Amino acid sequence: MILRLALGSLLARALTVAMTVLAIALSVMLFLGVEKVRTGAKASFADTISGTDLIVGARTGSVQLLLYSVFRIGNATNNMTWESYQDIAARDAVDWIVPISLGDSHRQFRVMGTTSEFFQRYKYRSGQSLAVSDGEVMDDLFDATIGADVAETLGYNVGDPIVVAHGLASFSEHEDQPFRISGILEKTGTPVDRTVIVSLEAIEAIHVDWRSGAQIPGQSTPADAIRQMELQPAAITAALVGVKGRLQVFGLQRSINDYVEEPLLAILPGVALQELWQIVGIAETALIAVSGMVIVTALIGMMATIFSSLNERRREMAIFRAMGARPRVIFAMLVLEAAVMAAIGALLGLILLYLGLYVAQPLIDSAFGLWIPIDPPTLREVWVLITVILAGAIVSMVPAIRAYRMSLADGMMVRI
Amino acid sequence: MKLLSLLALSTLAASPAFAQETRQLDSHEHGVGQLDIAIDGSQVAMELHAPGADIVGFEYGAESDGDIASVDAALLILAQPLDLFVVPDAAKCIVVDARAELESEDEHDNHEDGDEDHDDHEGEDHVEEAGHTEFHSEYLLECGDITALSEISFAYFTAFPNALEVEVQVISDQGATAFEVERDAPMLDLSTVN
Repeated sequence: MILRLALGSLLARALTVAMTVLAIALSVMLFLGVEKVRTGAKASFADTISGTDLIVGARTGSVQLLLYSVFRIGNATNNMTWESYQDIAARDAVDWIVPISLGDSHRQFRVMGTTSEFFQRYKYRSGQSLAVSDGEVMDDLFDATIGADVAETLGYNVGDPIVVAHGLASFSEHEDQPFRISGILEKTGTPVDRTVIVSLEAIEAIHVDWRSGAQIPGQSTPADAIRQMELQPAAITAALVGVKGRLQVFGLQRSINDYVEEPLLAILPGVALQELWQIVGIAETALIAVSGMVIVTALIGMMATIFSSLNERRREMAIFRAMGARPRVIFAMLVLEAAVMAAIGALLGLILLYLGLYVAQPLIDSAFGLWIPIDPPTLREVWVLITVILAGAIVSMVPAIRAYRMSLADGMMVRI
Repeated sequence: MKLLSLLALSTLAASPAFAQETRQLDSHEHGVGQLDIAIDGSQVAMELHAPGADIVGFEYGAESDGDIASVDAALLILAQPLDLFVVPDAAKCIVVDARAELESEDEHDNHEDGDEDHDDHEGEDHVEEAGHTEFHSEYLLECGDITALSEISFAYFTAFPNALEVEVQVISDQGATAFEVERDAPMLDLSTVN
């Protein structure tokens, strides 16, 4: 009975109610959206590397080593010597080890030197391997395998020539040693999509005629001569390590961290990520607090509209009272109206969120390499919705109490 | 003159030793220990590193009978992992191997100085130089029902009143993660990783 009255009264003021509901819906969408992006970003980062027990590089912060070697974000870490790499590779506990060498680029994309084992060992999204969508992985010294985004952005096909630049976005391009695209990788949603992968020897090869970052004038070694050379790298950026038994991981990590000949650092990718989240956590909390405040603002806005509606509804209330409605019926009706508004707002917010995700998902993926999954609402999100509805009901009690009092007084006074 | 040449000779002799020496130290934070846990099949390997200040309250080389006794007592306690890190009974864990030792910082150092005066150096000199000692223990557990290993209660904090925090790294089928277990909440929840 009261519900029917409440719904009817809401319908009678459809425009004002719609505005209030929209405000609540947008605030709920913002709050849940922040939550989705936050968890999506975390999952996306965590999915980027799996199956690698340790990442070894020159001694630096663990977060920096992880960000640079896996995500190619942030400042370059120091290099580690090839000697130390081989020393670690020879350890008993080491099952496999894949070197990576960064520092060159092609247009806006990073070039990474590695061995062909990278394609078997690098895993993402809990154990998925890299796959070639076109062509095959590099085989020759001057072969390059490119990520899906590189191919898409630059319009490359298998067999196209490609020139690698020295350093990032530098003008001195290694034009004399053109590479050929041997394969294009399938889209992974990881930084590999935006990487040109060549062999470790190729990184050395393109620097054959170079000294201190500039080409020696007039000198250009023909490709055939380079093939004859011994192209063992002197240094690499980092190495991905798989350990034979899980129980040996910490022992190996400790022995690398205590390595006397060279200051090295071995990190557990998962632990380094955890450290990163601890740093980012403060900003996250701030973001959640702000979007929480937006919900509070929307609810207070609703309270204000209920307050202002009380005056116009004076006659209505008086009639209800004259018809025999108790003051508490008036109270209950107002609270119920507010709860219904908040509920519709929350549901609409949820619908808007999913519509938004559906539209924005491919855009966010291509712009930031961030894949935000469209999952059904989590328990936590359901609780957020319930809290919004309850908070709406509680907030509306303030105007409802006023109406309760007024309806008593109004009922006794004679007014026209 | 003779003295001078002797001096010159001694510096000559000493310099290669200095050139070979590498100097590096681990991080050392009082109140904070490190525990690494690796879970593989039914086996759980644990490795604890804790500053001497946390365990016995001092970090100088133990000389007095009282100090030596407290180090020995601490090593005995550290050799009982299941009393320090209490696992649920349902996991049916038994200790396969437990080792505890006290190490001073510079044991990691790779001093290449001559043998002759090495013995004099060993004790108090080195400890004073680095100033930090660390307890190191390694455990291997075998658990009957590894899935029941959902939490570890840190009685460690009761046993060692100076310990405030343990930084925990865990590797399991779910990958590697890190936790911080503090005196106020001495419980490690493993339900998400195991």
